[in-house]
Amino acid sequence: MDGDDLALVERAKSGETDAFRALVVRYQRKVYAVALGIVKDPDLAWDVAQDVFVRAHRGLEGFKGESSFFTWLFRIATHVAIDSVRKERGAQRDDVDEVRECDLVDAGEGILATGLGSDPSDTLLRRELGLRIASALATLPEKHRTILVLREVEGLSYEELADRLGIHKGTVMSRLFHARRKMQAALRPYAGTRSARRRDGGDGE
Amino acid sequence: MRACLRFAPMIGSREGELPAEEARSLAAHLSECPSCRALSAEAAVLEGLVSEALLAKAAARDFSPFVDLVLSRVERTPARRSLWPRATALPRSTPARGRGLARPFLALLARNWKLATAFAVALVAAASVFMYVHRDNGEPEEIASLEIDLEGGDTVLQTSDGPVVLFAPDESGS
Repeated sequence: MDGDDLALVERAKSGETDAFRALVVRYQRKVYAVALGIVKDPDLAWDVAQDVFVRAHRGLEGFKGESSFFTWLFRIATHVAIDSVRKERGAQRDDVDEVRECDLVDAGEGILATGLGSDPSDTLLRRELGLRIASALATLPEKHRTILVLREVEGLSYEELADRLGIHKGTVMSRLFHARRKMQAALRPYAGTRSARRRDGGDGE
Repeated sequence: MRACLRFAPMIGSREGELPAEEARSLAAHLSECPSCRALSAEAAVLEGLVSEALLAKAAARDFSPFVDLVLSRVERTPARRSLWPRATALPRSTPARGRGLARPFLALLARNWKLATAFAVALVAAASVFMYVHRDNGEPEEIASLEIDLEGGDTVLQTSDGPVVLFAPDESGS
């Protein structure tokens, strides 16, 4: 895929519109998914995704192939999406990143895991949880949404997240911890209900 | 609890992301801490869900107009916004070089309001200096030093009477 991307990039640099078109088609949905995770609003994410490709086209001459095209493109996507959120809502309250004792309260409940019972690959529950993920994600502050999306959708490592977001690796880990805890809290009411239904045998499975 | 504070952020790490020593300590802690084991199980449930959910939303959206919208925006957007007009826009062998330079300079001022403002301020400053020097029928007053200091956004005229601030930053609109 990488070599193929680079060949398309070279052709796009020399002015072949079809080559750039192929790159857009290849990555449009994933760029949109990242944008949606960060900006929340589907229409804004649609505009952001377009903007990402416009900027990528404008910056193609500067792409030297030191990273994969995919990495370069998603770096642009992250910046455009974060900028867009900040423009929309202005500066937000900066939540602390470190982990404190109060953050570990209720840590032992494990309601989501209990909801899945002994089968962590319970596809039905995963699908049902999946339907609620976007709205749960939308309740998180921008920095927690962003880091979770980059980790989960782009699959970035701690090191890559630190580099992309300009923060220390330790901050990456604690920020991810907070992001996950908030997601779990947002999903907990649903998972708890379903867990109770499972115990009562009301699932009909 | 202190150990939990140390290990909780490491939960959800992938293989190779923690130094080997840290990874071993985390594994040992998880084996004896039910609270952190629960956190780990919760993290495992979430693993992949965010990605699946967002990609499913993207897959459900109609992307058929997307690429054409991008390409039409690309056509409307200049390749790179440059401060100076592109040299290729000017014929290389323009005989009347003076006229050839004035036009792009005026065009540049028309596009860039900050530069236009700075240019206007500089013109007014120059006119002020000229009037100050040639006041009283052109008989210049004795001036110890004549120096325009543009640092810090101020336009200051140094005279024998001391510095005269011609333009403060907010007056120049910058």
